[in-house]
Parts: sequence; structure tokens; C-alpha cells
Amino acid sequence: MAAKPIEGEQRAFMTGNEVVAWAALAAGADIMYGYPITPQNEIMHYWTRMAPRYDRGFLQTEDEISAGFTTVGGVLAGKRAFTATAGPGNVLMQEAMSMAEMMRLPTVVVVTQRGGPSTATVIYSQQELNLTCFGGNGEGLRIVYSTSSHQDLFNYTIKAFNTAWKYRFPTFVLGDGYQSKMREPVTIYDPATRGIVMEECRPMVGLPGIAGIDREPAHLRNTYNLEDELYDRLTASIKDYQAMIPEVVEWEACAVDDDEILVIAHGVVSRAARAAVDSLREAGIKAGYFRPITLRPFPEEALQPLAARAQRILVVESAHGQLERQVRASLYGLETPVSGYLRPGMGITPEEIIGAVQQTLRS
Amino acid sequence: MPLNIKIALAGEGGQGVQSVAEILTEAAYRAGHQALYIPNFGVEQRGGVSVAFVQVSEQPVSAPKFTTGDIVVALSYRAVERVKQYTGAATTLVYDASLEEEVREVYGDQPRKLAVPALEIAQKEMHPRVFNVIILGVLVGLTGFLKQQEVKEALERQFGHKFARDPSLRDLNYRALERGYQLGSRRGAK
Repeated sequence: MAAKPIEGEQRAFMTGNEVVAWAALAAGADIMYGYPITPQNEIMHYWTRMAPRYDRGFLQTEDEISAGFTTVGGVLAGKRAFTATAGPGNVLMQEAMSMAEMMRLPTVVVVTQRGGPSTATVIYSQQELNLTCFGGNGEGLRIVYSTSSHQDLFNYTIKAFNTAWKYRFPTFVLGDGYQSKMREPVTIYDPATRGIVMEECRPMVGLPGIAGIDREPAHLRNTYNLEDELYDRLTASIKDYQAMIPEVVEWEACAVDDDEILVIAHGVVSRAARAAVDSLREAGIKAGYFRPITLRPFPEEALQPLAARAQRILVVESAHGQLERQVRASLYGLETPVSGYLRPGMGITPEEIIGAVQQTLRS
Repeated sequence: MPLNIKIALAGEGGQGVQSVAEILTEAAYRAGHQALYIPNFGVEQRGGVSVAFVQVSEQPVSAPKFTTGDIVVALSYRAVERVKQYTGAATTLVYDASLEEEVREVYGDQPRKLAVPALEIAQKEMHPRVFNVIILGVLVGLTGFLKQQEVKEALERQFGHKFARDPSLRDLNYRALERGYQLGSRRGAK
């Protein structure tokens, strides 16, 4: 058996794409399926360079539709399989991810958001929130982790495999082009040294024995004849999803005890939001910070009391209201005014957020 | 004052702007600082203005890009215009001395400027390929948060395979670094 990719813990200074490849290796991913698209490419490049040393597989497919479905196939065969994509590739992958939702398949997809719609830019955005959370022709029975740093990319890529295989819903790591391309310090580690046990992966097809005689049939269906059949199946999945929410939902908050204005941001923008809130506090302005880590399920219950206590809410995102819509839906019935600093496809600096907060407080 | 420095570098694709940023942040990280480097990139494979954003700090760096740089480096005609958006009154503008005219045109009387004859030195005294290492030396001298030895080690990690093939390249790079360092630290000391 090949040696462990990472022994113990190691400090490193690398790009986010490299971090994802290391995390997938450390998590014991068996195979990556992929099709090139910027800014995701180097996840594939690093994976293909390192995977053979550890007996892991790679298949380059003909497009993202195929990459999505081969990931589905890998998972059906009991492999810890993943893919990575961005932008138009994420659009194409929704077909396969809908199937994964229907059939309760633990696919893992790393999304490195780029500008949209269409080809747009290869650089950066937060415009794939709607698509990643709700892109299928279904109810969005998925888990979406929004990362903000290389440490997050490492931690949540590992976690995504376990969440997917434990709860059997397609799971996404939602990064972005900035995180993909930037270099910053990170600690990479063997999950076992942190007490992380990887969920067991079992095949769902090709099981031993005769179906119906030696064992129950697997009944892996994405097609139903009757409305009632589908309804029963979905009701069961929705119930499972709702029961799972308290176990997987994640967020972070700070300076929210006496805040007049609550700044809400996710992903890499939350770093700027946090820095802005720190500076505003130093200047005597009572600002608070809230960051949903799971965008799906959205941490509504955690946000509601904080939002009710604040006098204003400012949503900051590199999209035109995709996060703001989630926030508003979560807070329906509350009277705290919500406004947005919305910069689709543009990076956001702490200075800009400080300016937006000051303007909101003046208005 | 705790270390917290923001540098934007811009030049033509191929001038080695991204290498400078990578070596600088890698050395900073190894020296125990927090560091973040992000390149800008477009759909083109080559050509176009290449910009790198570098931040070195004692605290973990927040956003990957910034509004205003402490040091902004422009190494080509088009870069002079391109980086204007990242300069403020307190920014030190570093540029190749051959761009004097453009800089005057675009920046007028920007109070903090440092013209570096890097292109000329590289071409006449060294080799065009170490142009960016001269710039690296200028930044090390100007900022003062790295020892030359730390940068040499970073150069070794970046170009070690090339040095192994042709050891004279190591000497050439060290000389370029030293020359840039002198140009930068003279200014930094003022």
C-alpha cells in the first residue's frame, strides 16, 4: 500500500487549487473525474501529478456533463469520487447533480466561482451561489460549504467527503477564483492525527447475492411512474434533509452583542467584512459580523436572533443579491432593514465595506 | 509599527512580475511573516498587463486584493496607467527610469516616486533576464523586512534547477539582487 500523502502536520505556502488536491488526497479520495476550466484547472493538474504516487485514479472526460455523470458512476461503484469545476462547467454539471440528489448519491464537487453569466471572466465572483445551492430541477437537497481561506479549503474538502457519505446528499465546496489562485499559509494534515475518521464508502451496485432473494433490491431510481411514488420518495428525502440540518449547519459571528449594524458576508468576502468590522469597532462604530459557512442549509436559526437585535443589516457580496435573497428569506417577518453592497464579479476590500457601512448608517 | 505592507506590481506579460511577487511572499512566509500573493489573470495566454498583489503582515492577511498600495511598481508603458487606481497620496511609486515621461504625464507631482534604471542596468551590465531580480532587490531594500540571505534562499527554491545547470546564473542573479537592493535601500533609508 502506498504511503500516506501527508504524515502528521505540515505548514505550507501554496495556491488554493494545490490545497484542494492535497485535501482530496489526505481524505483518501479514490478518483477525480474532470474537465478543464479556469480557475479550477490546477486542482486537476496537481491531482494528476500526485495521484499515481498514491494509487489514486483520474479520468479526463469529454465535457462537464460527462465529468458530473462519471463522478455519479464512481460513487455508485463505492469510490470516494469527486470533481471540480467553475462557471459554465458548473451549469453543465447540474444535470448529473440533480440525479445525485434524486438517487441520494454522495458526490463531492469543488466549485471555484468565476464571473458570470456565460463565459464572462475566468477570474472571480460569488455568482454561483444560486446555481450551486439550487441548480437542479428539484428542491436543492444538497450541502454547500462556502470557504474563505486556504485552511477552510483544506478542512472543508475533507469534511465534504464525510458529510456526503454520511448523509447521502451531494456536497459542494464553494470556493472562488481568488482562493484558487492566491498563495497563503496553510496547515495540511493527515485527518487521522486530528481524530477525523473517514466515512466508509460502500458500493451501491454490483452487490453480492440475488436481488429479491438473498437481499433487498438496491432500487436506485431516478425515474418514477406515478406521482405518488415520487412524492413518497421526495418526502422521505426532505425529512432526512431536515433532520440533518442541525448536525451540518455552520456559521461564525463576532461583535454581535451590542451591534447597531450587522455585516453579513460569505466566502472570501467574509475576510474583508471581518477586517472592516474590526476597524469600525476601533473607530467606535458598533458593527457586528455574521458569516454563513453552510449556504445550504442556510443558518437561519442562528441568524434570526442576531438580526432581530441589530438595527440595520448590510449584506456584502460579489454578486447582485444572491446572498441577500437568502438572508431576506431567512428573516421574513423581522423588521430590521436590510441593504446590500453588491458588486457582481468584483473583489471587495475592507475599505469599501467600511465606506458602505458608514453610508448605510448615515442614510 | 507592526509590519503590514501592501505592494502592487505591474508589467508586461513575460517581464517576470509574477515571479517577483512569488519569491517575495515565499521568502516572507519562510521568514515567519504572514503573506498573501494573488496574480490577476485574464483569458489571454500571453500579452496584456500582468498585475500581482502582495501583502506581508504580522497578522493574517484579510482580503486578497486592496484599494491602495503602500508601494506600487510599474514596469511598462501600459502598466503606468493600469496601476494608477492603486496609488494614493502615501503610495511610493516605483518605476523603470525609462518611463519617466509617462509617469510625469499620468501622475503629475506624485510626492513619493522612485525611478530605477533596472532595464538599463540589466541590458548593459548584466542580462535582460535578470531585470525582474533587480526589481526584487529594490523592493527588498525599500521595505527592509527581509534579509538578503532569505531572498537568496527563495531564489534558490525558484531557480535552483536552472542554477544547477549553469552555476554562473546564480552569481548573475545575486549581483542583480544586490544591485537592486542598493538602489532600494538608499531610498528606504531616507
